[in-house]
Amino acid sequence: MTGVDDTILAEAAAWHLTSARDDMDWDGFTAWLEADPEHRAAYGEIAAVAAALERHRDRLAPLVVEPATAGRARRTWPFWAGSAVAAALAGVLVVPQWLAGQPETFSTGRGQQTIALADGSSVVLAPHSRLTISGRHRDALALAGGAYFEIRHDPHRSLTIRANELEIGDIGTRFEVQATDRAVRVEVSEGRVEVRGDALGGPVQLAAGHRILFDPAHGLARVSFVAAKDVGEWREGRLTYDAAPLALVASDLARYAGVGVSVPPSLAGRRFSGTLSIKDGNSAVRDLSQLMGLELSYDAGAYRLSDPG
Amino acid sequence: MEEGNVIAEAGLAALLDAHRAELLRFLVARSGDPGEAEDLLQELWLKASLTRAGPVANGRAYLFRMANNLVLDRARERQRAMRRDREWLERDEAVPPAVETLADPAPAADAGLIEAEEADMLHQAIMSLPHGARRALVLYRFEGLGQAEIARVMQISRSGVEKHLAVAMRHLRQKLADCGFFASAPSQPREPAGGHGPHGKTPP
Repeated sequence: MTGVDDTILAEAAAWHLTSARDDMDWDGFTAWLEADPEHRAAYGEIAAVAAALERHRDRLAPLVVEPATAGRARRTWPFWAGSAVAAALAGVLVVPQWLAGQPETFSTGRGQQTIALADGSSVVLAPHSRLTISGRHRDALALAGGAYFEIRHDPHRSLTIRANELEIGDIGTRFEVQATDRAVRVEVSEGRVEVRGDALGGPVQLAAGHRILFDPAHGLARVSFVAAKDVGEWREGRLTYDAAPLALVASDLARYAGVGVSVPPSLAGRRFSGTLSIKDGNSAVRDLSQLMGLELSYDAGAYRLSDPG
Repeated sequence: MEEGNVIAEAGLAALLDAHRAELLRFLVARSGDPGEAEDLLQELWLKASLTRAGPVANGRAYLFRMANNLVLDRARERQRAMRRDREWLERDEAVPPAVETLADPAPAADAGLIEAEEADMLHQAIMSLPHGARRALVLYRFEGLGQAEIARVMQISRSGVEKHLAVAMRHLRQKLADCGFFASAPSQPREPAGGHGPHGKTPP
């Protein structure tokens, strides 16, 4: 065989699993790596496999994800079961082509949902979000909430996504959109998109590694940099910010971590930079308050942030 | 919570300076090459100073994670370059590609093909996983569930989930190794050339 010890590989896999966590023992890991060159090689290969899975995640998801109904094979669900039934499943939804013409709406509750489009594109719909697909060619999308898109480029098709007052078009790429009443955010991890809207001076070309943050109330848009790997990272239970308004962080926490936190107007514009783990909503809010030196109170089922003293 | 939990504006680079020695030691251990480690530390410093991160929960861990990812990216670049070279060799081209060709950011057709092959390889490998391992892997990597949630969904213990995930990764690694995925990786020649076919014994 390959000469790599199974025990070493198992240890490497365990280290790799822990490395995503905040409580990773990096000193222990260093010592383990130093103990034997085989350790390094094994870890490198495990990490490369994980990276490959990540790279192909969206392409593979429709092929490997099964609906979370115990013991029930995916194929036993009739295609036409309808979005109400299908949306209740935690697995991937396939948009039936023959419903073309009628708008179809997908909405999520507390979990995220992967939607596979007929052309091989896919959308990961964030919790508490809604995506409507309409148009004869199924190319008019409208989003309320958050979603991560992986769209196959097709020069013969002009897919557009409506997000509040903005429209995203000319797409061939991976990107994330957040659309609420108060803000629209588009972040591109690969390829590029065009963002249009009456409130913008002209169409904005947004390339990989860039984001646009749009404030409909004031008609303000700002383009800034974003690390490609941070785009859509809520899918892995993290949120990373670079000088983001606190109000936006709070609305993300409500959506992704399922925890309500109210921010007084005086703090809404305060900026936050950093990474929050959102696997547990309560500790995410606590981390946020500590990191920003704000006071956290809990009242009537909701958290509240305030300036100390 | 440990030290360095709250970092002031632009403090990430300063935090790196404070942990420089351990980060370097980690990079050496992880990359196996002191020269490359120095290089990566430089890159890390640059990234850290550009990141302008304000408060980061546990900044030290954040830096280690960044460092760990840099090694991974570097290995990936190398793997790509070597695979490209190998394909040139396999095509029996006497003349290596011009530098401009290599620098072309969009050798689209080739890259697309490689990507598709890779995805296909992974798909096969995932489908060949033992049932429990596959379920855990898909829930974890594709559906974004945490380990605790997976334990609940699968009605097994947390350590059971970890075991399943470890088995899945070992198994995938084996399948990919059989397909030559790592052949271009710069690891020591610790396996005899040839010999093991795609039907080798896989871990349980």
